[in-house]
Amino acid sequence: MKTVRIVALRKDRKRLLEHLQDSALVQIKKIDKARDGFERVDMTSHMQVFERDVTLTEQALKILDGVSPEKSGMLSSFKGRREVDPDEIGVIASKSGEVISVCKRIVELDKRRADNKAEQARIATQLVSLEAWQKLDIPLNTSGTRSTAIFVGTFPEEYTEEQLKTAIAAESPQLEFALEVEHSEPQMTCAVVFVPVSQKTTAEDALRTLGFARPMGATSKVPKVKAERLRQKNETLKANSEEAEKEIASYVDRREDIKTTQDYFRIRADKYSVINSIEHSNHVFIIEGYIPEEDCDKLEALCTRVADCVVEFGEAGDDAPVKLKNNKFAEPAENILLMYAAPGKDDVDPTPLLAFFFYFFFGMMFSDAGYGLLMVIATGLMIKIFKPDKRMYNNLKLFQYCGISTTLWGLVFGSFFGDAPAAIYNMMTGSKITMAEMIRWPTLDPQKDSLTLMVISIAFGLVHILVGMGCKFYSCLKRKDWAGAFFDTGLWMLLLIGLAILAAGIVLGQPFTTIGAAIAIACAVGLVLTQGRGKKGIVGKAVGGLASLYDITSYISDLLSYSRLLALGLTTGVMAQVFNMLATMMGGTVVGFIFMIVIFIVGHLVNIGLNALGSYVHTMRLQYVEMFSKFYEGGGKEFEPFSLQSKYIKIQEDKQ
Amino acid sequence: MDGMFFALLGAAIATVLAGIGSAKGVGGAAQAAMGVLSEDSSQFGKMLVLTLLPGTQGLYGFIVGFLILVSCGVLGGEMPTFTQGLWYFGASLAIGFGGLFSGIAQGKAAVSGIAMSAKDDKNFSKGMVSVTLVEIYALLAFIVSLLVVISIPGMKA
Repeated sequence: MKTVRIVALRKDRKRLLEHLQDSALVQIKKIDKARDGFERVDMTSHMQVFERDVTLTEQALKILDGVSPEKSGMLSSFKGRREVDPDEIGVIASKSGEVISVCKRIVELDKRRADNKAEQARIATQLVSLEAWQKLDIPLNTSGTRSTAIFVGTFPEEYTEEQLKTAIAAESPQLEFALEVEHSEPQMTCAVVFVPVSQKTTAEDALRTLGFARPMGATSKVPKVKAERLRQKNETLKANSEEAEKEIASYVDRREDIKTTQDYFRIRADKYSVINSIEHSNHVFIIEGYIPEEDCDKLEALCTRVADCVVEFGEAGDDAPVKLKNNKFAEPAENILLMYAAPGKDDVDPTPLLAFFFYFFFGMMFSDAGYGLLMVIATGLMIKIFKPDKRMYNNLKLFQYCGISTTLWGLVFGSFFGDAPAAIYNMMTGSKITMAEMIRWPTLDPQKDSLTLMVISIAFGLVHILVGMGCKFYSCLKRKDWAGAFFDTGLWMLLLIGLAILAAGIVLGQPFTTIGAAIAIACAVGLVLTQGRGKKGIVGKAVGGLASLYDITSYISDLLSYSRLLALGLTTGVMAQVFNMLATMMGGTVVGFIFMIVIFIVGHLVNIGLNALGSYVHTMRLQYVEMFSKFYEGGGKEFEPFSLQSKYIKIQEDKQ
Repeated sequence: MDGMFFALLGAAIATVLAGIGSAKGVGGAAQAAMGVLSEDSSQFGKMLVLTLLPGTQGLYGFIVGFLILVSCGVLGGEMPTFTQGLWYFGASLAIGFGGLFSGIAQGKAAVSGIAMSAKDDKNFSKGMVSVTLVEIYALLAFIVSLLVVISIPGMKA
């Protein structure tokens, strides 16, 4: 990694930044405060405009999706961004104004739809409240004629006409009145009461005590007419909404344009945020940042081609970001590494080792030739059909390599969709043959040879851990930390190797036992002598040294952890076998055959889902917990170049 | 008297107890995951991974149960003697109880992992690895059960 400083004239700013963004070579350092003689140019308002446009297009797309969902398969998330010719950007820019107005229109139409919906809801409640008054042929707000006072309203109880008459008469015996009940239901009676004008106040008092209330929102129209009007209005609103929806639907074919425009504004917002945080003087501006060493020439050529400028490179310090660089085999595992942490300044990039062990262990856990082949084919097809972006491409590649390893391990374990070939053969012929008898090469059956396989698993674990410690050893040497290399790491490595030889000696006999024991004891003594070296005083040193031997427990638990290689491998195999057994249960009839195919497909899909997930998670754990804990510091920052952060389009690379 | 009863009891213990552990674990994790998904449905993949992690115990229990059934004559093979039946029963206890308690514990860890991952995507892998730390104890129980079941003398399927 190198630092880079580009000084260029302000008139070239736009052109230069665009090229930097397209080429994604440089990570630009953002500054908070300019040095003396320089200033920052405030671009916040511009950025806000672009960001608002991005939000607007996002809204429009969401509305379009609601009206007519985009036809996208389950697999569309694998799809790469659309490639766009550099010249097309100009076209996109010139069309953007029009697209934005389309988006505005869509949002406006959607708002109208929402308003209509709210209005319709209000009408619906009004209609419900008018329902009770359907029989009434005078307006709800009638208060009377010259000689008669009329009370239209509700009582909070259920009355028949007789009951209501009695109730009012009981309340006010001298009141002369006539009444009509329009509607009654539990806890509500709608009625009209007629009284002479002269007794209006008496009537009011009497009615009030009975809980009489005039209806809400009473109008001067007869209820029936009013209801009719509301229904008409409802129809109009409905038609209006439908019209709006139709118009929105007519914009569906603009979806691609909107996406492209959204990216266009997103890119511009990014560019302005960079302008916002670099230093300007009256005539020049300065870009400072980081660049991978191998790209320096490319950048210099690019800058001098597009602008009058000076490009300087310098040595980067410890806080420089890290860009991982690996060959095709290891690159897919970079994502796994970055999920943990980017390498810190003292770390070696462990990706190649990680990649190898990841594929290896995944294969051992998933361990089925049929599943492995499926993985290889499926990932291959996806890469071919969807042309995914780099990140997704790497993920698919990761599983393709895992698939290859799975296939190989499947061959070792003699497993092809479990024992499918043998099970089907047995179903057809009625014989009792096992996979091991069908296969011509020697296989290792996890069910019968589990002890052997457990020893093998732990042996692989030992190698894995030793490789991890080897990395530590190497990075200590590189830092010239001799004590760290030989005492802290080397002795433990030797001790583990000694113990391994000792364990082998139990089977192989002499002289392995003696040699192993000798190495182990020598290393243990060495550890006791050296591990207390940081402590003060002879007692402290001795205690520290002895206490360090206690670490052996953590190594043992790490090693035991690798027994999951056996357990998960066995799980895949046994589950597959169970499904095969179920599938072939019905025998070789036609019905049995159809039954077999259905159970076979469903069962193996379930098994693939469960065990692929298990293998992935546990492989990752073995890397992170068992291996990385031995040497990996992490804590570095990933190299994030100034680039096109787009969602839907990407610019084709220059073909020069 | 043959040992079929105890062998079957063993198969049941292994499958049922480990299954309860996983069911509790996955159930709790799924509840938490759905809470997260109601806010942000794009997290489905990650949530699914964390939810399924406590599901392995049930699988291990099932495998032990299945192997017992296979080797004691239910699905082909010979009837176990009384002693052998007891051995199968004993073997099933490890994964039965190991699976039960580790499944529940792993479910709790998964719930926390889901909460952590919901706050920040970057925490996902750390959460995932932490949740698998519990798994080792289920694995050890499984291996013990397994080694006993397949090495019971004269009973190799």
